Amino acid sequence: MPKKSKPKSAKSRKSAQNPRRIAQRALAFGTNAKNSIKARVKAMADVPLAMCEDDKSLQTVLKILREEKEPIEVRLAALQALQAASFSVVAFESCRTDYIATLRAVAADKDLELRQRVLGILAREKDGFAQKKLLEGLQQPDKALLPPEKALQLLSYDVHAEAYPIARAIVGNPPNATAKREALRLLAADANAAPTFEKVLRDKKETSENRQISAAALQAIKPDKLRTHAREILLDTSEHDEIQATCLTALKQFGDQVAIVNDSVLLRRVKRLGGKGSSVVKQSARQFLSKYGQ
Amino acid sequence: MQDSRATTAQSEREFASLVESLAGDPTRREQLTDLLREDHPCYDQRGTAAIVRMRGWVLHALSHVGLSEPALIFVLEELDTGVDAYLVAAAARALRSYPNPSAFFAPYLIRALANIRYHDEPVSFENYGAYSESHGATSPVRELLATLEWMGPSAREILPQVESLGTKDGGLPKRFLDDVDRAVEAIRRGDQTSEPNNHSCCASPAPVNSVVSWARDTRCSSESVEKIVFEDHEGASLTFKEFFYGHPSIVVFFYTRCDNPLKCSLTITKLASVQKLLREQGLSELIHTAAITYDPAYDLPERLRAYGKHRGVRLHAGHRILRSIDSFDALCSYFELGVNFIESLVNRHKIEAYILDNDGRIAASFERLHWDEQTLVDRASALLRE
Repeated sequence: MPKKSKPKSAKSRKSAQNPRRIAQRALAFGTNAKNSIKARVKAMADVPLAMCEDDKSLQTVLKILREEKEPIEVRLAALQALQAASFSVVAFESCRTDYIATLRAVAADKDLELRQRVLGILAREKDGFAQKKLLEGLQQPDKALLPPEKALQLLSYDVHAEAYPIARAIVGNPPNATAKREALRLLAADANAAPTFEKVLRDKKETSENRQISAAALQAIKPDKLRTHAREILLDTSEHDEIQATCLTALKQFGDQVAIVNDSVLLRRVKRLGGKGSSVVKQSARQFLSKYGQ
Repeated sequence: MQDSRATTAQSEREFASLVESLAGDPTRREQLTDLLREDHPCYDQRGTAAIVRMRGWVLHALSHVGLSEPALIFVLEELDTGVDAYLVAAAARALRSYPNPSAFFAPYLIRALANIRYHDEPVSFENYGAYSESHGATSPVRELLATLEWMGPSAREILPQVESLGTKDGGLPKRFLDDVDRAVEAIRRGDQTSEPNNHSCCASPAPVNSVVSWARDTRCSSESVEKIVFEDHEGASLTFKEFFYGHPSIVVFFYTRCDNPLKCSLTITKLASVQKLLREQGLSELIHTAAITYDPAYDLPERLRAYGKHRGVRLHAGHRILRSIDSFDALCSYFELGVNFIESLVNRHKIEAYILDNDGRIAASFERLHWDEQTLVDRASALLRE
């Protein structure tokens, strides 16, 4: 009966190549604890398509994510598969509530990377649960699920989270340099934070990165103040090259054309920087002078 | 009113206790409605997530004690423009405690379903501030479907839309199909009992007052705000009196960092439609329009200009986007704005549009529910005949 078996095998080949079949097989493989961790992680990459097909598949992946006894690599791969599936908003509609519930359930997991990724996903959703946990951790470090710099970064996804007071406190008394940097980044959307940024921008002992963050924040919330400080920084011969380059760029992009063209002191100074400064300052100075017709 | 006013410095726990004690005391229940005002001091200096928890708890309390007529508009507002899962779910539950279903509610429910279905989340009303971490919890979609079932024949006008929620293409996920079936069955029940059809959308709407008008001789003077200085989208300074006196004006409030697409972004887009209607009716020079930001410290001229232009607003002398330079509090008092803040940032606001007369006095206000562009233009043009 060779004639009959031929179409059957073509059909089965076609079925084997069906992406949904591949996803189902990957799911069965990825959830089987008898397989190696590496192979299970690899299989999980093909799972997203199976996820929204039926509730059983979704629950299987969610169970892996929740299960502390599963290897962390497999749990992270399950999370990644869920995240990939969630990009298809319409198809994921049926999975969303259980997905969010599971993320909240594992937000306090013992594994830092998992906590960080889960809280990151929830924070991007502006999830009140995640914001509450992150704020609690900043106020009471013994309850913190993440390091302060990461918590601040995640809270900055939502300007409406009540993170400004705590960010301001961290700028004043930072637990570490990275936390201060992230607190400054977060405050860049706070219209009342201009005095803080003016202070940091003018403080030569601050890191260049913090001073540059402050310059960018001032441009967003008090552009006039940035122009004033940028001019003064450029005239200060003891200022750092990187900050002077930042100020040249700021004035080139956002400066008041008329005021600058008539500012002979500033133009003379920039000409000097264009000839004698470091390469980064020289280049910025040349661009500045070319814009203002010098 | 004393109790509900004394909540400015309360913790969330204390607020929750207050809500529970008001709900438990029939003589003070009406104060729950007062707690839903956006400008209530209890919301001052709170983050948006905290406000969601607090308002949600008030709505939850109303769902137990029964939704009163004055509180109804707050529930419909949440269904009309809400994008937070907890608040929409709480509003849907609260509506079911209203004495009678009304056809007037049906469009709000179906709109809420469309708005929230792709943001569905597990929610918990077990205790204050609870976030669900378990499968099978209720959700706004489930609560809305339960409310449609409660509506019964009163939702007959939207029966085709409810039925379509049970179809394969464009319908809700399988897990909700039983809820959809129950809602459809309840709505169809009216057909079987052959009741007279008094459920149309035009039949006596619920007592919801989202538009208030003042006759010419009852309007409040604008003297308190006439010297307020604004900066417009080009950075030009002008006073309230300079811009608003001598002609009727249409005024809306917004802020560029609003993350609810059904509020500020839509308001400004609709303002562009209002301007188009004014042009088409030859009223563009006679009636001014203004959009005023709630967030003057952040909404600098460049930001205002870009926000308006991206939404089709035409900007020139009689049509401007404004920020108050130094007197936003006076503006808040004059318009009785439904807004609150955490530091300088808005944490919650209602939708609000106003018609001002030739003397900058408020002749009409449209609040909470979405307003109709033509109605706004008609109200403003009526002032030209005063």
